[in-house]
Amino acid sequence: MTQTLTDNSLARAAPNAGHIDGLRAALNKALRGKADVVERVLACLLARGHLLLEDLPGLGKTTLAKAVAVAVGGRFSRVQCTPDLLPGDITGYSVFNQKTREFEFLPGPVFSDVLLADEINRTTPRTQSALLEAMAERQVTVDNVRHTLTPTFFVIATQNPVEHHGTYPLPEAQLDRFAMKLSVGYPERDDELGLLAAAVGHVADMPGHEAMLAEGQLAALQERIARIAVAQNVQAYLVDLGRATRAHPKVTLGLSPRGMLIWQRVAQAWAFLKDRPFVTPDDVQEIAGPVLGARLGIAPGAAGSVIDQLMESVAVPV
Amino acid sequence: MAPEFSSMVRRATFVLLALATVAVEIAASDGRAVLQSVGLAAAWVAVAACVGWFVPPPDDPRRKPPLWVLLLLLAMAAASFAVEPMRRDWTGDGHPLELQMVCGLRNVGLGLAACAGWVLCLRLACVVSLFLILFAAAMTNHPVVMVVLGLYTATGSVWLMLAYWAGLRSDFVAADKAVAIEVEAGGERVPWLGLSFLVLALGGAVALVVIGPKRAVLSLGEWLPTSGGTGEIDPFARYGIGDGPEETAGENAKAAGMVETDRVIEDNRKSLIDAVNDTYGPPHKPPKNQEKMIAAGQAKVIENHGKLPDNRRPSRDFDTARQGPQDAKRPGSQKARGLFEVQGRTPLHVRVVVYESYDAVEKKWIEARKPGDRLFDAEGGDWMKLGHFNDAGWYLGDERHKLKAADMKSNLVPTPAMVTRLRINKVDRPEYYEWDYEGVLALAGRNRTPPGVVVTTDCRTLDPRRLPEAAFGTSGGAPPALTEVPDAIRPAIERIAREWAGDEPRGWPQVSAILTKLRTQYTLDRNAAASADHPVPVLWFLTTSRRGPDYLFATAAAILLRSLDYPARVCLGYYASPDAYDPETAHTPVKSSDLHFWPEVRLRDRHWLVVEPTPGYDVLGPSLPLSERILNTLTTVAAWAWRHVIELSVLLFSLVAAWFYRRELIDALAVRIWVWFPGRTWRDQVRGAVAILERRGHWAGKARPRRQTVLSWLRAALAMPTHTDEDLDQLTRMAEWAAYAPDAPPPWSADEVLAVCHRVLGSWTLRRWQDANPTPALGA
Repeated sequence: MTQTLTDNSLARAAPNAGHIDGLRAALNKALRGKADVVERVLACLLARGHLLLEDLPGLGKTTLAKAVAVAVGGRFSRVQCTPDLLPGDITGYSVFNQKTREFEFLPGPVFSDVLLADEINRTTPRTQSALLEAMAERQVTVDNVRHTLTPTFFVIATQNPVEHHGTYPLPEAQLDRFAMKLSVGYPERDDELGLLAAAVGHVADMPGHEAMLAEGQLAALQERIARIAVAQNVQAYLVDLGRATRAHPKVTLGLSPRGMLIWQRVAQAWAFLKDRPFVTPDDVQEIAGPVLGARLGIAPGAAGSVIDQLMESVAVPV
Repeated sequence: MAPEFSSMVRRATFVLLALATVAVEIAASDGRAVLQSVGLAAAWVAVAACVGWFVPPPDDPRRKPPLWVLLLLLAMAAASFAVEPMRRDWTGDGHPLELQMVCGLRNVGLGLAACAGWVLCLRLACVVSLFLILFAAAMTNHPVVMVVLGLYTATGSVWLMLAYWAGLRSDFVAADKAVAIEVEAGGERVPWLGLSFLVLALGGAVALVVIGPKRAVLSLGEWLPTSGGTGEIDPFARYGIGDGPEETAGENAKAAGMVETDRVIEDNRKSLIDAVNDTYGPPHKPPKNQEKMIAAGQAKVIENHGKLPDNRRPSRDFDTARQGPQDAKRPGSQKARGLFEVQGRTPLHVRVVVYESYDAVEKKWIEARKPGDRLFDAEGGDWMKLGHFNDAGWYLGDERHKLKAADMKSNLVPTPAMVTRLRINKVDRPEYYEWDYEGVLALAGRNRTPPGVVVTTDCRTLDPRRLPEAAFGTSGGAPPALTEVPDAIRPAIERIAREWAGDEPRGWPQVSAILTKLRTQYTLDRNAAASADHPVPVLWFLTTSRRGPDYLFATAAAILLRSLDYPARVCLGYYASPDAYDPETAHTPVKSSDLHFWPEVRLRDRHWLVVEPTPGYDVLGPSLPLSERILNTLTTVAAWAWRHVIELSVLLFSLVAAWFYRRELIDALAVRIWVWFPGRTWRDQVRGAVAILERRGHWAGKARPRRQTVLSWLRAALAMPTHTDEDLDQLTRMAEWAAYAPDAPPPWSADEVLAVCHRVLGSWTLRRWQDANPTPALGA
């Protein structure tokens, strides 16, 4: 279809379609049998959102994060969140340089392109909140000095949904900063067989080492995503859905306007990934689960049915 | 759990309905013993309890009640109307229609309470109970109703507490006991068809009221017997001022009306009743041409100052009793619409002149002789017994009419045929009457029957089809004049009579054959007349012209019947036509232009049977019971249907075929409209085509759920992977663009859009939709 769309923005993005395919292939290679997860991660990345991965250990969360960092050609940092982790351990801190007789700022792991905050719910709320400014405004302030992060700063946080002892559940304010909450899930049997077969002969994991995007290309793609058209009736549909979340009896915390903006942006990215220059209600629905799952106050296990009810309650525009 | 799911709330609701039922029963007849009312209410409540016992609890109280609940409620509502005739028959007591309707609503409320397992029924039951208790409180101030009202209030408070408590239980229910309520896919369907009918019915009624003919508007009011005019008078109706079939006689009337009352207004005109008040004031001077009057006796005379309004029209608007907000209001005069007004069933034949002998030479009928002094007996209450009908067995019950003089030109007392007794208010002696002819009564000693005189008559009815042969007289027992046929025309008349009715058995079949021949093969033409030199006009009518005025119809019928040895005569009189019935006043005015000729056949008991050979005129039949009327109607309809069996068969077949193929027809029509008017823009064209596809999918049982876009719906409904049907695939993309794409030129030409839509509409027919395998909806 892109070859025929000569008069719209996607046509101008056509030369970069190979980059998207390359990104997709690299991530699929790193995380086998999870094409749908990879697609959503891509949407989140292109929408300039942050990702919360909630799943059991050993399902490839870190692998995925590393693969993303490598594929986008940026720097990768990892923070293993523990109860004794301090905010400065994430943002960085100032030390006194005896030679220069001045304080020097030592940047923390947030000064990277992709940050993996592993088991984020194990660290204290104080440290969790240190990430707030970084995630929302892509900057940190240390000793009253503001330090700007890279424009493509992307946080992948993970948390274990089973073990709750000694954890600090993320507050709603923090959850609302994430664009999506995803579960990787176990791979299929064939994929696991392939995984085992690929590991034979290799001493360690062989992450991809080839960057798929040159510097600045991710930002360019993100700008292009922002220009994907959203018709008024689709925006009205989004607003109606958002308002429905606030009226649903089983939702204790409805969708915020910021959440609605993120939902629209992710839908734009989703449409872009489908080579479509405009958003349809199908896009809105298909990414509703991970977007709403991150921010709606819903009882555990009820998210699926509640989101289904929300979709049923609002008629799509046709 | 909704508050209403609590069984305690359901029981409280039933108690509310029971209390409301008691209150309504007492309010409906507050003069009755309270225990009797409570007993009746208890009976209805017991019926509802029995019904509730058999009603199974619903699986899901939130769902709509099944159809049988509606039927049950309708049956409960109808029970009130079904019980009423029995109640009237057995107890002699009854309810007016409006109270029957309230009782019907009460039964519906009890039925709803019996089906209170459904939330909708329970809520409606509460609303109905509230209406009923308020109705009862507004209707009466009976102390027991006040007590019941207090009990209702207390029970209502308990109901509220129970509902609140049940609500709390639902809020704080343990998580493991929580019930997940799944929302139905597809949502609630709007009943467009029902709504359309409702809008059409309401709009039609409003249009009828606003711009329709007045008669049609008034006929709407006749659905309620209490509004009068149907000929049915409900003895238990509660008439108010300005309502009902009668004018109201007032305590201090300001005008004379067509009422029968003990109070009479002082009037110097030539009224029938002498009610001059000469207690005070100047002495009464009788007019020069004083006519015979009836002394008012002990009647109360209402003094009249000034000119009395001249009311010569029956009207429910014109009442003589109103002393409402404008006490000084004086009713205006109303001109007469005719000679007299008839209240009661029509058609009605009122004799004026009776003819017996036919003069063939002069070509005219000769009036019958005046009867002797044979008068009649006075009964009580001003009633006069006229006809002495033996118990012949072919007569049915009496039927009452009121004939109200408006502007009579003579002293005629208008009476229908076969009158058995009559009454004029305060005319209590037979000497006040005289016979003009046999069956034609007049007021003795008067030149005119004054306006406002109401003649109440009871006339016997019969069904001529049931008359035995022995009922008809012969020339042997009748005066010769009634059977004579002029010799000059006898052979021709006898030949025609034999030809028409010779094969029929004697009696009504023969008479009916003559009448039917005249009614069906001859034409009423008031201007047709034989030339003056024609020797026998009736033969000209029968053999040559076959058209003529009613005079010739009556003459021909009478002569033909006489030739078959039936004593017959001809009458001139007034015909009260049903077409002239005025629903506003519920009367039929009879004008001087309603003069009509008709023949009569003498029965063996010397009474005269009115027959009608003139097309367009009918004879009053017996008042049949409802079942017989329905049977007659069905018989008539069946006969008509048999006569038009081919046309009806074709029509029925067409209707059945149209119904069977209704979807194909509607679809073809929609496609044709789309082809003719596809839309101005390419987006409209695509939307129109998609709408047709959607309708086909809906009819094929694959309606698009409200959460699905056209693309996802088509792919799911047709179980079709992408790119297997190029045209459909393209149309879905076009539909996406039409619905959600920005205002940029589409990647298709206008011709391509139309061509794709055409091809898809042509290939994805309704039949193909129906044949496609259903698959679960996307996302469901």
